[in-house]
Amino acid sequence: MSTAEDYIEKHSGSRIERAVGYLKRNSRAYLLLAPTVVFLIAVIGYPIFETFRLSLYEAPADTTVETFVGLQNYAEILNNEFFGQLLTQTGRWVVVGVLGKTLLGLLIALHLNANVKGRKFFRTAFLIPWGIPYAISAVVFRWFEHPQYGYLNTILQELGLIEGSIGVLGDPTIAWLGVVIGDIWIGTPFMAIIILAGLQSIPEELYEAAAIDGAERYQQFRYVTLPQLKSVLFIATLLSTIWTFVSFDVIWTMTGGGPINTTHTLVTWIYQTGIENGNLGIGAAYSVIGFILLFIFAMIYLRFYTRGGQEL
Amino acid sequence: MAEKPTHDGDERMIDRRRMMEMLGAGGIIAIAGCSEGETTTEDDGGMDTTEGDGDMDSPDSIQFLTMGVGDNIQSFFDENNAAFEEEFGVDMEFTSVTWGNAKQTVNNRVDGNQAPDVGRWPARWIPQMVGKEALEPLDDLMQGDFYDKFYEGMAEGCKYEGSYYGVPWAASNKCFYYNKDIFESAGLDPENPNLNSWQDMLEAAKQIRDSDSVTKPALGLAGADAIETGSQYYHYHWSYGADLVDDEGNPVVNTSEGADALGFYAGLANEHNVTQTSPLSSTRQDVRQLFESGELGMVIAHVYAGLNIEDSDADFDYGITQVPKGPEGRYSLNTIDSVAVFSQTEVKDLAYDLIRFYFDEDRRFEYSSQKGFMPVTKAVGERDYFQDSKNWKPFIEAGQYARARPKLSKFSQFNNRMVQAIQEAVGGQKEPQKALDDAQADLEEMMA
Repeated sequence: MSTAEDYIEKHSGSRIERAVGYLKRNSRAYLLLAPTVVFLIAVIGYPIFETFRLSLYEAPADTTVETFVGLQNYAEILNNEFFGQLLTQTGRWVVVGVLGKTLLGLLIALHLNANVKGRKFFRTAFLIPWGIPYAISAVVFRWFEHPQYGYLNTILQELGLIEGSIGVLGDPTIAWLGVVIGDIWIGTPFMAIIILAGLQSIPEELYEAAAIDGAERYQQFRYVTLPQLKSVLFIATLLSTIWTFVSFDVIWTMTGGGPINTTHTLVTWIYQTGIENGNLGIGAAYSVIGFILLFIFAMIYLRFYTRGGQEL
Repeated sequence: MAEKPTHDGDERMIDRRRMMEMLGAGGIIAIAGCSEGETTTEDDGGMDTTEGDGDMDSPDSIQFLTMGVGDNIQSFFDENNAAFEEEFGVDMEFTSVTWGNAKQTVNNRVDGNQAPDVGRWPARWIPQMVGKEALEPLDDLMQGDFYDKFYEGMAEGCKYEGSYYGVPWAASNKCFYYNKDIFESAGLDPENPNLNSWQDMLEAAKQIRDSDSVTKPALGLAGADAIETGSQYYHYHWSYGADLVDDEGNPVVNTSEGADALGFYAGLANEHNVTQTSPLSSTRQDVRQLFESGELGMVIAHVYAGLNIEDSDADFDYGITQVPKGPEGRYSLNTIDSVAVFSQTEVKDLAYDLIRFYFDEDRRFEYSSQKGFMPVTKAVGERDYFQDSKNWKPFIEAGQYARARPKLSKFSQFNNRMVQAIQEAVGGQKEPQKALDDAQADLEEMMA
């Protein structure tokens, strides 16, 4: 326990002296942290800085010349008619994808948490899609939805829902849905496992007390399960939102952003603009916009999460 | 009783979490940020993927970068690289990357001053590399007897701004395949099909579509969001008398001839319904594979479509004719791969030796016949193997109709915009003229 003398000694002197004293006292901790900090600066800090810098330049990939253009790249993007469509498509991709993964994950987790036969097998089996490389799963879904060879057409024909064959990924109005279904299939196991972990941490006594109070199963779910899962759901959906937002492999593999650009999201567009088309400056500006959007979303989300300084 | 966490503790916990989440959010930024500095090479079917370590440009060694080396040609390179090492007493560092990573790899290595000594890639990349001053002009190599080895069109395909920046390594062009069994079932003459013009092709396609004996689609039409969709469409565009750029390199895609060509292309799916389902989700590879499996009546394809059919268990007969002609002529899209010497090389003489070594006639024959690429040298093209083959002969003849895509430093961007216009027309979203007018406006802005 600190004595009054210690306190006076620690808090006397100028700010600089106090800062130096603080650093001296914690030098070992900072020394231990240093390699990680340097590593993070190298692999995260530098690319972020370079992207911000590049976004202020016209930087065609076919020359080594970079021309400073200030905020012109941003103005060009904001004045581009396609930008609004791109944001809408990105929002749709994220909202539908995260919602689908969360609802399906919750449904699966509730069933896996119940005392069903073969529970261990199903818990393992449901993880398989998450363990397959995304690009491989995307190829599988591309073939599943293939207009000539895909199982989807066969299933729909057997169910009597269609007569001929349809090409989901070639229809500008529904192609996004064909891609988002693949993404939901890939991302659902993660949500299910996280939610399952949350379910297992809910004390059984709460359900017993609710049952004694006459709560039906739905009421137990509504007033016990959901409130207890809130923290887990917040974090899981935040992570899922970030991952879905930055998801590239699935869209690129299944449609390449087409048809007629209708399945592009900000991330695939960044690749097409910056890497494929060789406009590194504009690609970087799109990246910065994506970064800012995610940053704002994360801040708002965390604000809700830590409402009043307390976790929900 | 457990101690209740303090508010201070909560704050620290949130701070850490916030930091993690922000780092996660920052991941997107790395996509662009890493794009210039990261070098990616990928193994493709067991090929050698040794990366350079930057100090291999000593006179005793040479780096050779190529792409797309598959199982069918791996042993060719293994044997000949070893022979070169033995003959010249040097070490060869041979790298092959997949086509998907090729452009990025070349750019990364050039930007990082780690360019190979010799590289092989599509000749259409030459302008971009010349823009970076990354290539050595090869005018002193491309002359005399060495120059005379090549078909003139092939050699000129490697010329840019008056200089040769590559030696033609391989080439591919297109012909028109048809399924004889389907033709016969539809009442068409399989041995003497009338497929001279697009209109003839359409009439045959309609007959297949209307035949009660045929349930397979008549014609393969590529319309997916892929570079090759442009490649397939340009046959129509050029044959209607339209062009992509003028002599000064300015875009001229929206002429009335271009609109007619795009209208015809889109009409095959929309008006005449003679194509496979959903052209907008079909890549060139999709329609080729459909034909190779006997499920399609007609398709424009490379020589290896026929070679693939010969090698497979497919049980149908096929024929190959020239790509149909339009009102203003007939064209066969010609793609040339070139082999170039990088300006960063310190072993230019050895690089020339390597190129001369690989252009030995027997080696070229072995490469072309094994890989399924068109011969680029006259002596190889005149060999019986190519002249007498059912699969090769039409493609050799098609050399007279060969036409390459324009050499533009922004070709990928140009082509992507054209593919969008094609999709808009095939998808019925815009009239062909409107789709091309919009493309023209964007292309003018892009190339200004």
